[in-house]
Amino acid sequence: VKNRVRELRLAEGLSQAVLAEDLGVSRQTVNSIEAGRYLPSLPLAFAIARHFATAIEDIFTPESDRDTTKEER
Amino acid sequence: MPRSTARSRQALSAAVLSVGGGGLAVATWISGSHGLAVGVLGAYLVGGVIAFFWAGGNGDVAAVLRANGDERQRTLDRDATALSAIAMSVAAIAGSIVAVARSGAPGDFGVICVVGGVSYTAALITLRLRR
Repeated sequence: VKNRVRELRLAEGLSQAVLAEDLGVSRQTVNSIEAGRYLPSLPLAFAIARHFATAIEDIFTPESDRDTTKEER
Repeated sequence: MPRSTARSRQALSAAVLSVGGGGLAVATWISGSHGLAVGVLGAYLVGGVIAFFWAGGNGDVAAVLRANGDERQRTLDRDATALSAIAMSVAAIAGSIVAVARSGAPGDFGVICVVGGVSYTAALITLRLRR
């Protein structure tokens, strides 16, 4: 699963530490999510989506969906 | 988490090490190895002090030491515990086999195997009922 957390965070000009505090997790966890090493739980994914005022599927995309989109292009 | 709670959890990891080390030191003292007992106590106290300051940090290990952490850190702790349990199980089973070959009985390793097997079964049944 790919995600746009880093992209959205940078667009808001936030540091990982500030976003982490807002989400109630550690900075390392935000870093791991951005790097794709850790897949957040549904509640945390919802919290991330709520923070960026967007839908979960706009932030997290399954690899298979990305492949399909590429093929369609 | 309130600062006082974080502080008490930080102290808890140091206390567990110190009390555990104290118990081991008392047992060593009773066995007659007084010098070793003092050494064990000293080593565990130093470990307790290190754990106290380490648990005060912001890293993953600190969070696990404080037994709080976020969902990822709890997952790290759970997975590390599972890997450790696998290593201990392998050691206990191998020890039992060696003990049986030597004396015909699994001895203490057998007790560890039974505890592991029973606790695993109980945990599996409980978790299946809850999920």
